[in-house]
Amino acid sequence: MFITNNNDNLVKNTSHKVVLPFYLYAAISFLVATILLFFSSSAFTQHYFHPKTLAITHIMALGWGTMMILGASHQLVPVLIEGRLYSIKLAYSSFVLAAVGIPLLVYGFYFFNMGWPAQWGAILINAAILAYLSNLAFSMAKSKKENVHAVFVLTAALWLLLTTLVGLLQVCNFSDTILPNDSLHYLPLHAHIGMIGWFLLLVMGVGSRLIPMFLISKYSNTKLLWVIYALINGGLLTFIIFFLYFPKTSFYFIPVAAILFAIALFGYYCYSSFKQRIRRQVDEQIKISLLSVIMMLLPVILLFIIIGWLLVNTVNTQLVLVYGFVVFFGWITAMIFGMTFKTLPFIVWNKVYHLQAGLGKTPNPKDLFSSRIFNAMGIAYLLGFVLFIIGIYNADNFILKFATAFLVLAALLYNWNVIKILLHKSTKL
Amino acid sequence: MNVITNNNIKCTIALAALQNVVDPEIGLNIVDLGLIYQIDFDEANSKIYVAMTLTTQFCPMGESITGAVKRVLENTFTGMEVQLELTFDPPWSQEMISEEGQKYLNQ
Repeated sequence: MFITNNNDNLVKNTSHKVVLPFYLYAAISFLVATILLFFSSSAFTQHYFHPKTLAITHIMALGWGTMMILGASHQLVPVLIEGRLYSIKLAYSSFVLAAVGIPLLVYGFYFFNMGWPAQWGAILINAAILAYLSNLAFSMAKSKKENVHAVFVLTAALWLLLTTLVGLLQVCNFSDTILPNDSLHYLPLHAHIGMIGWFLLLVMGVGSRLIPMFLISKYSNTKLLWVIYALINGGLLTFIIFFLYFPKTSFYFIPVAAILFAIALFGYYCYSSFKQRIRRQVDEQIKISLLSVIMMLLPVILLFIIIGWLLVNTVNTQLVLVYGFVVFFGWITAMIFGMTFKTLPFIVWNKVYHLQAGLGKTPNPKDLFSSRIFNAMGIAYLLGFVLFIIGIYNADNFILKFATAFLVLAALLYNWNVIKILLHKSTKL
Repeated sequence: MNVITNNNIKCTIALAALQNVVDPEIGLNIVDLGLIYQIDFDEANSKIYVAMTLTTQFCPMGESITGAVKRVLENTFTGMEVQLELTFDPPWSQEMISEEGQKYLNQ
């Protein structure tokens, strides 16, 4: 009678109990990062290897960016691999280990105590990433199908582990000389493996599945995604080889050009999905996510300028600070803003309404948060972001302080909306 | 009616009831979205067989939507058991959306 006779095709969602702590932790981390930024804004008029700058960067990269992505990733793995998450215990372990490790590491940086707090922080973070990576690998091994998106995510997790391992070595190198050079020397290596290998690769792997899905677009181009995958990994490997064995500044244009080309192709992929969408109306969260794709270009352009500058001058500290700020407070933050308010309402909606669906009118997931608070957050964030760049470039502490006040406001409004979603109770049907 | 059935009258009632099941992401009901392929009534065994699809095989709302289909039909046809088959052959496509659905999405 029927064409198929099974319900195994259904995606098995990961329990909200696993995912929501990551979201909450990330939201609080973002608020803490902006508050620290407010009280330490003068650090951004000095060298980028400053304890307070390092502390804030690591809260943003680990507490905000990575915790949010780990949370969303645990939810999205079943969607990506078309199977179940291998272990809930491993997921909880990765949360607990990272949740304890990140504050220890950040404390170590902020007070420049590179003894046990920073070392144990780095060890726990590595253990958390190992738990996440194992969970991902076992989930994929158990899944019946393999696809390009899952390969992106697994490779990104491998790069993340390499990032945190290099970071651990750098931290230990402060106390005992275990690396041929000082820890500052390895900062570009550590930072770019993390930014390109982890964040960029993962965002593209997940985004290439979710953006067409949320736009209800018929566009699909697996070949193009494999080209992007090769360009990013090839570019990053080339950079590592140049950095370790042929550290000639002009050589760095090659990997940066590969990454730029990959971003342009991903932009084309998103644009094609957008053009072939069935649903004409595009919500604000998807608009912000698409905006963050465009924002990927900004740090790469800055990188070209930094390398060009290095050919004729010594390092331009302000440009490097702007570059780091644009990556963590620009691209990654804009991407998370879009991702949070696209995925979190769905997770909570599923938790609250999955047994009531069809029995009466339920609110839409987008009704679980306030769009007015969301818009106000967007305005405060944009003002803070632009002003802060002006402040760094002019080494003006007054502008920096003023800018961070807007960023704190944006973080408060973000947390308000996140808590509003998390505390949502079922409306009477 | 594009839905294959062995009982036109009951199928019309079922589809009217299923219009209450809305894809929460799209905001459109699953009937106008064209997710229902076939509804057959087995009166002798008090069973309703439903063949349906999802807009994407990886839909995270899949469990919620299929659960709602079962609940709605069991509430509408009291005493009948719903057997639901999820299929992606043929896969859902834009052409399956009803005229009303197209109007809604083009707003």
